[in-house]
Amino acid sequence: MEYGGGREGGGGMNGNGTAYAGALSPAARYAESGGASLTWENLTAVLPGGGGRATKKLVQGLYGYAVPGRVVAIMGPSGSGKSTLLDALSGRLARNVLLTGKVLLNGKKRRLDYGVLAYVTQENVLLGTLTVRETVTYSALLRLPSTMSKAEVRRVVDDTLDEMGLRECADRNIGNWHLRGISGGEKKRLSIALEILTRPRLLFLDEPTSGLDSASAFSVIETLRQLAVDGGRTIVSSVHQPSSEVFALFDDLCLLSSGECVYFGDAKLAPQFFAETGFPCPSRRNPSDHFLRCVNADFDDVAAAMKGSMKLRAEADFDPLLKYSTSEIRERLVDKYRISEYAMMVRNTIHEISKIEGVIEEVVMGSQASWCKQLTTLTRRSFTNMSRDFGYYWLRIVIYVLMAVCLGTIYYDVGTSYAAIQARASCGGFVSGFMTFMSIGGFPSFIEEMKMFTLERQNGHYGVAAYIISNFLSSMPFLLAVSWASASITYWMVKFRPGFSYFAFFALNLYGGVSVIESLMMIISALVPNFLMGLILGAGVIGIMMLTSGFFRLLPELPKIFWRYPVSYIVYGSWGLKGAYKNDLIGLEFEPMMPGQPKLTGEYIITKMMGLSLNHSKWLDLSMIFVLLFAYRLIFFLVLKAKEAAAPYIRVAYTRFTIKRLERRASFRKTLAMSSMSKRHNQPPHPMAVQEGLNSPMPY
Amino acid sequence: MKKQGGGGGVAAAAVAAAGMVKAELEDVGIKAAGGAVAALSPLSETLWREKAAAEFLGDVSARLAWRDLTVTVVLGGGGGGGGGGTTQDVLQGLTGHAEPGTITALMGPSGSGKSTLLDALAGRLAANAFLDGTVLLNGRKANLSFGAAAYVTQDDNLIGTLTVRETISYSARLRLPDKMPMEEKRALVEGTIVEMGLQDCADTVVGNWHLRGISGGEKRRVSIALEILMRPRLLFLDEPTSGLDSASAFFVTQTLRGLARDGRTVIASIHQPSSEVFELFDRLYLLSGGKTVYFGLASEACQFFAQAGFPCPPLRNPSDHFLRCINADFDKVKATLKGSMKRRFERSDDPLDRIMTSEAIRRLITYYKNSQYYFAAQQKVNEMARVKGTVLDAGGSQASFWMQAFTLTKRSFINMLRDFGYYWLRLIIYIVVTVCIGTIYLNVGTRYSSILARGACASFVFGFVTFMSIGGFPSFVEDMKVFQRERLNGHYGVLAFVISNTISAMPFLILITFISGTMCYFMVRLHPGFTHYLFFVLCLYASVTVVESLMMAIASVIPNFLMGIIIGAGIQGIFMLVSGYFRLPHDIPKPFWRYPMSYISFHYWALQGQYQNDLKGLVFDNQDDELPKIPGEYILENVFQIDVSRSKWLDLAVLFSMIFIYRLLFFAMIKVSEDVTPWVRGYVARRRVQGKGARGRGADLSAARSPSLRAYVVDAADDLPPA
Repeated sequence: MEYGGGREGGGGMNGNGTAYAGALSPAARYAESGGASLTWENLTAVLPGGGGRATKKLVQGLYGYAVPGRVVAIMGPSGSGKSTLLDALSGRLARNVLLTGKVLLNGKKRRLDYGVLAYVTQENVLLGTLTVRETVTYSALLRLPSTMSKAEVRRVVDDTLDEMGLRECADRNIGNWHLRGISGGEKKRLSIALEILTRPRLLFLDEPTSGLDSASAFSVIETLRQLAVDGGRTIVSSVHQPSSEVFALFDDLCLLSSGECVYFGDAKLAPQFFAETGFPCPSRRNPSDHFLRCVNADFDDVAAAMKGSMKLRAEADFDPLLKYSTSEIRERLVDKYRISEYAMMVRNTIHEISKIEGVIEEVVMGSQASWCKQLTTLTRRSFTNMSRDFGYYWLRIVIYVLMAVCLGTIYYDVGTSYAAIQARASCGGFVSGFMTFMSIGGFPSFIEEMKMFTLERQNGHYGVAAYIISNFLSSMPFLLAVSWASASITYWMVKFRPGFSYFAFFALNLYGGVSVIESLMMIISALVPNFLMGLILGAGVIGIMMLTSGFFRLLPELPKIFWRYPVSYIVYGSWGLKGAYKNDLIGLEFEPMMPGQPKLTGEYIITKMMGLSLNHSKWLDLSMIFVLLFAYRLIFFLVLKAKEAAAPYIRVAYTRFTIKRLERRASFRKTLAMSSMSKRHNQPPHPMAVQEGLNSPMPY
Repeated sequence: MKKQGGGGGVAAAAVAAAGMVKAELEDVGIKAAGGAVAALSPLSETLWREKAAAEFLGDVSARLAWRDLTVTVVLGGGGGGGGGGTTQDVLQGLTGHAEPGTITALMGPSGSGKSTLLDALAGRLAANAFLDGTVLLNGRKANLSFGAAAYVTQDDNLIGTLTVRETISYSARLRLPDKMPMEEKRALVEGTIVEMGLQDCADTVVGNWHLRGISGGEKRRVSIALEILMRPRLLFLDEPTSGLDSASAFFVTQTLRGLARDGRTVIASIHQPSSEVFELFDRLYLLSGGKTVYFGLASEACQFFAQAGFPCPPLRNPSDHFLRCINADFDKVKATLKGSMKRRFERSDDPLDRIMTSEAIRRLITYYKNSQYYFAAQQKVNEMARVKGTVLDAGGSQASFWMQAFTLTKRSFINMLRDFGYYWLRLIIYIVVTVCIGTIYLNVGTRYSSILARGACASFVFGFVTFMSIGGFPSFVEDMKVFQRERLNGHYGVLAFVISNTISAMPFLILITFISGTMCYFMVRLHPGFTHYLFFVLCLYASVTVVESLMMAIASVIPNFLMGIIIGAGIQGIFMLVSGYFRLPHDIPKPFWRYPMSYISFHYWALQGQYQNDLKGLVFDNQDDELPKIPGEYILENVFQIDVSRSKWLDLAVLFSMIFIYRLLFFAMIKVSEDVTPWVRGYVARRRVQGKGARGRGADLSAARSPSLRAYVVDAADDLPPA
């Protein structure tokens, strides 16, 4: 898509500021060339009152447009409504927020469904063990139609990497807390690359430069500009405190303050507007710093506090703006803008754009790949991640092997003495109880996977079932390795029943137990808000399971009411132990307590001493474990589905909660975390699970 | 570790300091009464400054000068070539000065060495970094370890449950001399609060991950307030504006400016300041790749760049422009972008679109070396070197050991009381777990099966319930972070911390264990009798405390949360294995597991005691009714293989001694990581450096340094451009 010459600096304003009659404004000319043009008129978002709370206007009376080939920056101090505007335009507002006004896409009212438009979130959710190219490839395989050949997919991936300037780092790992990887700017560009895979026309970004240093921020925004110009895309991005270089890259600027529009139009003309209102931007200033200074009410608080501590001795001449309070400045700007020619220009442009009949190709978001393809891709990706991340399974294998060695040496050659009865039982109990306890070590990895899943699910990349099945398949080899390794070591050191089938049963028993616990951990990680609660809950649940497995308290002795029925039946430990006892003891003979008494047979021990019945074979017990495994995975599926269904209600509650917090305290006193209302994924920004820079991590 | 600094002189100096503080506050008070705050004419401002200067100058103003400062870092060996580590010059030949009444900003792109420069000046270099050149404080060689100068780190490590006023008050009590009367200390605290503009939030809690509190900017100002309590004349800050929004950053910098105007010397490393913040600086020190690009007045920097051929375009933040010119990352960015561009874009407003940044850096550095600014700086430094002023004494802590221990205990107690996640959460968890255990073993009785059941119950209680103390881990980790910060600033010693931690936790642990122990005991109906009940509860208390001490010892060594928990769980598991329940004591293999592991395991002693406590005196049914009943003593000897000759109270005593041993271990580990590890690292690095033969001179300075929290120097050095 070619556009004449670079950007035009002057816009469509001639000397006296009126557009020529009959000629299209430059912005409209951009819109004419095809692609997606977005306009919004008189946009107002209101959070209705309820429960004794007043209605809160989030944004009010906004006008604006976004045309192909240009980058629109939405700026404003915290609490100004820039996130609300972005969400409103991309269709991601919480359900209880009332939106009025017209939002037109290519002149037609369009249903802005959730997940329809390409949206890059502020947080990068990436798997640290994959390379850049692999990440993009897997995402492509998950979403592009399965009819595309491998070569075609590879071409799409290469093109996308080129477009985002990721060619050089294409084969480097993304990196996480223990692996060095790519820089912050490259991570952000990778996140953007994942969104443009399906060639969307319209791209929304939420504060893409936050947390990046000036060079990275510059690279990200410059790449966005190239995307806009080269690809004819329309790009709308909210930005927070851009540096001078970054600010110079924006085409159109939308400046908000307390939900009202202070300025909308060409970014190059904004200083002119401020000068006309009486607040010219000093030469040695970043224009965006100046704009924000003029409309950020927090500076009033600063001045008040400084006055309070008597530090304003001679500082007045430093800040010419101190003559007025920021609220006054803001008032004047908003009023001036409303009646200015700039606003008039915007309305005219909107009018022109809406008249242009554009055709927008239906961009299918979500996924066009077949279910099988999704499953195989997910499994492959999951497997790659697990095999490369040391902390996921390798660490656990090491720990299990160590424990198995300890166990083996303590119970070495257990024999068939009277004491050996209890010893065999203890060994079995310890293996099934404690070894499985170590799966809490996989918690951070689970939580990271959950985050990734939530995001991709929201964007409709795949279904819940595909995810669960792929997770099970990809972890199977590792769990098998873990259980067989520790089982072998233990079995042959302790010298349980010789014979391969007995050993195989023992190993399978252990595998079943480990898998069940793993599924349980995944359920917990889906439910708890943070890492620590997950750990405590997980430890507690496993402890209770150990208690009711029939080892610490014999099964017949458990109180019938709650513990026997149903808890001991839904706990894998009881089935595992039953099976293990039958596997080990039946057919062996043990020394009696006092010499001279008849030897104790295995059957006798099981029925009389342990109080278990011999009605069904051990294989039934083993199969019960696998039934439990299936049941837990099913519960996991239901939990995830329930979370999804509850999500909008959670967002409603969260939005309300956030607004209340914003109201109660002056915006000045907000922590940076609360600066945006639409951070609905209930994650305050403490990256514990991701374990970045953890000297002593704080839970998130 | 408090520096005595000379007997009675301390007390006199303290009184004098208090007097000066009073005078300062009166000054401020008069101005308030006068009302004409914002209208001090320039003349009266100068007069005031001179008056202030005259009062302070002979005594405690700090003039810092550094000449030909070079810092070399020895990187870990790794790569090819035996044990030889590579050395890298992080800073090369820097010259500059900082005077009272000014803010000096150290700026530069990431990896330029500005943080290293700050650390070098503050005496906080890592153990494997070596200093060359001179750093002079008031004309003498600087010895700034352990609190002589105030240093504010980048992260705010504050106790989240205290209010702002309480935080500052406790810190004051920890450091001000005991003899200072309470009203004076309080006045000092109030004065500091007002000076930092914290009046509005003085009674709000600081907040942490689950408690809402003050904002980021306010937290930063609280951190600064803690450091200026002792009225230091020299203040170092590491990126005080990072992570703050523009208004907060502006406020913080304004406050720093105010502090400087009071006669202090403020040096801060700054990263990407906004336009308003940049205007507040007095002097600017620009670094790139460890070399000076500019040093002088911030207002003249634009002039310098224009003269050097890189004028600042209009409508630009000058600091953005400077950083653009000296940030080599932009070359990489431009190269990447050019490679992926489908069209050529002429960036007419990019001052560096014609030349590479590396070339620009070279030009600027050379220009500076030959400019009048450099000459002026050298002159000034030489002049300052000639004037020998006073020696600044350490401002660490002037309170006695008992005052420190007492204050710490009180503060720790209040924190534990208010923080839900510390002990209250654990109480709930313990209650839930013991209720479960209680209902499962409800009224265990004296049947044949009860024998094993009692054993199992005891084993589970002491093994699992104690494990749930991982719930308090994050709160403890937060405590450790605060301790490290205060320790580095010399507020108190390790012993005071360990003692206070132990004492303040006791009431809570007693509460928790007694409540859950009682519930368990009476639900299960273990051996009736008050002494038996008391023994059980004491045993539980001792076990829980042992586990907690063990976790603390682990946490002080292993900073990673997850690894700490895994290791803790592993150790607990092994202790349980050898405790005598899973495998009878006589059957445990002798070589490693019986001796010594079994005896180290607290679980073993707890079980030994509890079995005796429970079974002695009870009579159990046999398997069949005809067989005679089995007395508890028989079971003890033959079934559980307990050593009955040892009284159960002895077992309890061993448990309590373990608590003491683990605390001692905790103390030792902190000391080791503080003193020994850096010494070892430094020694190894020095050996490497001498092996290279290049520079061995700077070695003697390393002994007088205080440890640094920053090990980054090794990693950051990788990012530096090749020399």
